[in-house]
Amino acid sequence: SRLAEGTPRRSIQLSNIVEQRVFQDDEIISTPKRARSKKTTTAEEDKEYTPKKTPTRSRRLSTASAAAPATPTPLTPSQKLKKIRAGEISPTMEQRKTDTANPDKGRKSQLQLAREQLHVSVVPQSLPCREKEFDNIYNFLEGKIQDQCGGCMYVSGVPGTGKTATVSGVIRTLQGMTRQRKLPEFEFLEINGMRLTEPRQAYVQIYKQLTGKTVSWEQAHTLLEKRFTTPAPRRITTVLLVDELDILCNRRQDVVYNLLDWPTKSAARLVVITIANTMDLPERLLMGKVTSRLGLTRLTFQPYTHKQLQEIVSARLGLAGSEAFKGEAVQLVARKVAAVSGDARRALDICRRATEIAKDCVTMLHVQQALAEMIASAKVQAIKNCSRLEQIFLQAVAAEVTRTGVEETTFMGVYQQLETIAAIMGVSTLPPPGRALRLCSKLGAERLLISEPSRHDLYQKILLNVSTDDIHYALRVEQPMTTT
Amino acid sequence: MPTVDQAQELSKARRFLKERLQRNYTTIRGYEAERSNVRELLQRTGEGESNSLLLIGPRNAGKTTLINAVLADLLDNKSFVENTLIVHLDGNLHTDDRIALKSITVQMRLENAADGKVFGSFAENLAFLLQCLKAGNKKSKSVVFILEEFDLFCTHHNQTLLYNLFDVSQSAQAPICVLGVTCRLDVIELLEKRVKSRFSHRQVFLFPNADKFEDYVKLCQELLSIPSDKALKSTANRIDRLELLKSDAFTFQRNHFRGAAYEFDKRFVDNWNKHHDKLIKMPAAQKTLQMLYDFDISEAFLKNFILRLVSRVKPSAPLITLEQMSSLAQQYESDDKIELLCGLSVLEICMIIAIKHHSEIYDRDPFNFEIIFARFSKFAKVSSTMQGVERSVVLKAFEHLRISELIMPLSSNSGLGKIQKEFEMHKMALTYGQIQQAVQRYQALPTEVAQWAQSSLI
Repeated sequence: SRLAEGTPRRSIQLSNIVEQRVFQDDEIISTPKRARSKKTTTAEEDKEYTPKKTPTRSRRLSTASAAAPATPTPLTPSQKLKKIRAGEISPTMEQRKTDTANPDKGRKSQLQLAREQLHVSVVPQSLPCREKEFDNIYNFLEGKIQDQCGGCMYVSGVPGTGKTATVSGVIRTLQGMTRQRKLPEFEFLEINGMRLTEPRQAYVQIYKQLTGKTVSWEQAHTLLEKRFTTPAPRRITTVLLVDELDILCNRRQDVVYNLLDWPTKSAARLVVITIANTMDLPERLLMGKVTSRLGLTRLTFQPYTHKQLQEIVSARLGLAGSEAFKGEAVQLVARKVAAVSGDARRALDICRRATEIAKDCVTMLHVQQALAEMIASAKVQAIKNCSRLEQIFLQAVAAEVTRTGVEETTFMGVYQQLETIAAIMGVSTLPPPGRALRLCSKLGAERLLISEPSRHDLYQKILLNVSTDDIHYALRVEQPMTTT
Repeated sequence: MPTVDQAQELSKARRFLKERLQRNYTTIRGYEAERSNVRELLQRTGEGESNSLLLIGPRNAGKTTLINAVLADLLDNKSFVENTLIVHLDGNLHTDDRIALKSITVQMRLENAADGKVFGSFAENLAFLLQCLKAGNKKSKSVVFILEEFDLFCTHHNQTLLYNLFDVSQSAQAPICVLGVTCRLDVIELLEKRVKSRFSHRQVFLFPNADKFEDYVKLCQELLSIPSDKALKSTANRIDRLELLKSDAFTFQRNHFRGAAYEFDKRFVDNWNKHHDKLIKMPAAQKTLQMLYDFDISEAFLKNFILRLVSRVKPSAPLITLEQMSSLAQQYESDDKIELLCGLSVLEICMIIAIKHHSEIYDRDPFNFEIIFARFSKFAKVSSTMQGVERSVVLKAFEHLRISELIMPLSSNSGLGKIQKEFEMHKMALTYGQIQQAVQRYQALPTEVAQWAQSSLI
């Protein structure tokens, strides 16, 4: 009976010789893995047994059994992948060898502290200037959790207005409440459209956060469907945060539909919060039935005004701020950023750059330099630093635009202008058309011009990607042409 | 007559100069501010701060060299070497996120990679990478992502990779630095708005300086000169350090120029340097350099020129002469299309002339074979050399012009099958000036043809 038990499946495929072996009563045939404990017996057998025909295979068998060490073998990559899919291996990064990451805080200057505080990744406990939105989302979620029913909410706003940070802040507060037993328990799941390779992977990610297992999306879909549609007596509320909703919208919209349809099931007890950038996304992109399920509970995050941005930066700086940052410097950043986008990330990044420029205290001048680096365009500088013939080429394009009155020019017309300008300026070596094409493609690579591929030769169309004023300004200010 | 010794010394010098021109990947001249800016940024990344940066500059401005130089500098720093992983991606090689992601997984030596092979699907790879980065904190190694040809990464579907890299750099996860390198000035406009918001908007512009001709001359002199042994020895250390760069993606360290391997005879070096210093100071040489400088101010262009000069040095002509310099410069100024025209047969030149006449009369209107053949026949009838040419031979000549792209079909998708090839309309890819020059330079062109080229009247 033991014989039959131990017979490995693979022995069917073994060659005749192995099958011909006559087994003793107490002998154990086993797979190499099982042989670990009975190492000695197998080794003895191998000594007695001399293979006739296929030595390689039997040797492999014997070495495999002999080599099997007592310590656990390192996993083969495919075994590892299985464990990863089962969620048994936790993903890790390589660790630092010498831990220089956190030298004690005393040695850091005020400026360094300020720089650390200003990093976008350092999210404060409570977001300044978003109290109203916080309350709004908090009330919605708390109500849904208390009532133990499902629902949807749609949050919109341009990037960098604190949507995700506020929602995560609300969730954190609610989780604190449950820990104090002031609120029934709930589960929190989070997916991000941009972190998925395709919309259907949303099922996989949700299921993975529930169980830790990675399965195919079809399987995940079925399992989630089962979970949310069949009533279970002790089910707790699930809060699902869907970031970047617009990416999940494909043509069929089955994923969005499912995500928004589950909350309507009484068994699900699912609350879905969706985040996207455009305010009118439901009406513009989604089908009628999806929009209807999304409901009208909506919240829009307005871009920060300069006062709010100033408050955010000052809050980040805290007490250290007064020494490291001049008040008017913060105000300048806030006003500049609020005028462009109202993006908090931008304001923080500019402030951080200013701390890098400054030596001990950030003043207006440092901020101005940082602003120039991060907002200003470099086109004028690029034109100034072109070679002389490239500059003449740009002038020729501008001249051709003025002559024809049309934005789009052809290389032939530009080349004629080039000949004229070169003759007027007394350039001795006018490049032949072939080399002028090279100038054109070089300027096109920089995107000072927009040009067709050079395959079109004399007939390629050329558009000026800078304004003619920029060209004149760049070339007149230093007057590089007067040297002729 | 040069001795054997001298000849050996010369071939050594030539090899030295060529290698220095081609394989000196880490030496960058100028750009002090930009270099220290990037170096400080990477240094701080090594210490655990997350950042992102775009390095922008025209082609051949030394963007990759700057990064290599900064890395070589930082290899000095033991804690940087130990605590930083470098992941190198190239938009030309990693043409979509799938391939890029596999490469990242391999280069970061994550759990699901084994010997350069990555297991699992695209979605699994992305999820695993994000989990790894999320699991990381200040205690985990910093990762520097270098994305060359950054603008090509912007064309990937949804910009998933860029979003995720920038997102990690702006949240409390493993410290990473995203360093994009591109030649497009307007690259930020290619980013989607949420990706743009996550990018820190640090841009470092590399522009070669346009109004410093003296520096250009000095650079030329430097590239031509052979340094002293002491100077060679002092750079040896820097190159040895490149061994520390344990990244399979960076291959430049394996094949880097090693100056310390060379030793020169002092007399030879003195002679060589003195001659070339004098050569460059000559007005004619200056004029040649000015011509190069007017066309392209980049260092790479000059290096190419000098490489061609250096390879002309041989024992019978052991020093670079002024004539060599100016003849090489003339090659740069010459028009390749005229060379091509001069290689055509007289019949084909006749066709080109007929096309030119047609274009002049009808103001560059398109033409087909029949039009040109009629014009050509008018000439051939009265000429003494072109009388017996058959139609099929002329058509063959016309086709030859077409495949050498001296004439181009009007429609891009050549309408063969729809229109007969005799009737397909074409346009001429030459200027009148080019044709005129070709007619002048053509060897042994019959006088009749030369005269016909002057005027369309017969």
